[in-house]
Amino acid sequence: MVILDKLKSTIKGDLEVIDSEPDLLVIKIKNKKLIKKLAWQIKEEFDILYSLAVVDYSPDFELNYIFSNYKNAEILILKVNITEKDFAIDSITDIFNSANWEEREAYDLFGIKFNGHPDLRRILLPEDWPGHPLRKDFKVDDEIRNWTGLDLKF
Amino acid sequence: MGKEKIMRLNFGPVHPAMHGVLKVILDVKGDTVIKAQTEIGFLHRASEKIAEMRYFSNYYPIMDKLDYVSALNMEILYASVVEKAANIEIPPRAVYIRTIMAEIQRIMSHLIFIGSFGEDIGNMTGFIWALRERELLMNIVEKVSGGRLAPMYICNGGMFYDFPQGIEEEILKVLSVIENKVNHEYNAMFTKNQIFLSRTKGIGIITTDMIKKYGITGPIARASGINRDLRKVSPYLAYDKVDFDIPTEKEGDTYSRFVVRIREVLESIKIIRQCIKDLPAGPYKTVVPWIIRIPKKDTLVKQESPRGEMGVFLVTDGSDKPYRLKLRSPTFFAIHALQELLVNIKIADIFVIVASIDPVMGEVDR
Repeated sequence: MVILDKLKSTIKGDLEVIDSEPDLLVIKIKNKKLIKKLAWQIKEEFDILYSLAVVDYSPDFELNYIFSNYKNAEILILKVNITEKDFAIDSITDIFNSANWEEREAYDLFGIKFNGHPDLRRILLPEDWPGHPLRKDFKVDDEIRNWTGLDLKF
Repeated sequence: MGKEKIMRLNFGPVHPAMHGVLKVILDVKGDTVIKAQTEIGFLHRASEKIAEMRYFSNYYPIMDKLDYVSALNMEILYASVVEKAANIEIPPRAVYIRTIMAEIQRIMSHLIFIGSFGEDIGNMTGFIWALRERELLMNIVEKVSGGRLAPMYICNGGMFYDFPQGIEEEILKVLSVIENKVNHEYNAMFTKNQIFLSRTKGIGIITTDMIKKYGITGPIARASGINRDLRKVSPYLAYDKVDFDIPTEKEGDTYSRFVVRIREVLESIKIIRQCIKDLPAGPYKTVVPWIIRIPKKDTLVKQESPRGEMGVFLVTDGSDKPYRLKLRSPTFFAIHALQELLVNIKIADIFVIVASIDPVMGEVDR
């Protein structure tokens, strides 16, 4: 893909190519502070953030930014690792508007803070839900199963 | 009239005119909407969490209930991602049967859309008619799989049963009935109906820029002039062996979203006829063990569901269960656009615009 050379010239040495197929490019960056700079570069080739898949490899969390466009079937997957100690990353909502709800979902289910997000609230779960359920350390016990959100007494 | 007060109106999550459990909070002045906020999550059933607790073969019933209007498309999508990750080849007969069933399900889903869209603008007859045609296809799905709404027909490596004897002729007979009804009755009831036209034309316009801003795909994008269909762009199943067109419209209003789906029904009929003509003989499944282990890798599969591009990102770690399963649902992105789409319109048009998005909340909330 053409985009790879552009990205390589933007950041030197920090970029690792994991997989390269005709329609699929998987890259990984080590420094999470570069995400915004890269997103501006990616915006020239790709139209939308297709999906944002977070994977819990505790204590590291891997963010898979999946980009797509409307011209062809090309997919770019950008992997970024963040650690539990510094559990935040820059939001790319101002660059890709379609990232808005995907980042809210990642905040909801994993608790990742997106710096600069315009409206970082829970999206799928109620506001007062305890914890972030897609993390591997989330225990599904009776307290969760019987959770109503209201102070009901029977 | 003096100064008009701004009133806050809760539309949904339980409202007779709302599709599923979508909630829209509207600020209205007179009967003009000035601000709209959408709230989702009322049907969240933790599908992604359940995936981490089940064997690969035991997740099909959950996929059925994601987009419950097009359950077979969801099953085929999940089967494709597991088979791609585990390197399972499926026989050509299974590929063709899956294509036929996916298109039958697409027609059924679009018929539900046509009916409920008609009902939302007061055309109850259209709803009854569309469900009448859907029932014919429902019967076929029942004969093939044993189930109706949630068929549980697809499994790893193919499907549970072969086509029953003589089902091909029956499908062709039903298709000609539906084609006839769509071409004649539906045109009279919808696309040549003056009331329908004045309710839908020029309302809820989604521009090409908005499509790209919100990441909308599928029939909604095609109604706004974007010629993109994954069945053509990156063909899967048997779509590269059949001949069909992608219907597109330029206006991007509710009417063109309706017309695109009507024309897609006719294209699907074309695809099924060609597939039945070329349906190869041979085995209908590759026998694979119920419990399989998939080595550590990431797999992404995207397919064209009736509502747009549905994707699954599967992360495996060598065990017999998924490590992480991320579902990319098309309507999740389309619902996001409602906050811009519902501004500066009359209250009476909200129903038409929400219905034209064709949301199925099971897939949005996951």
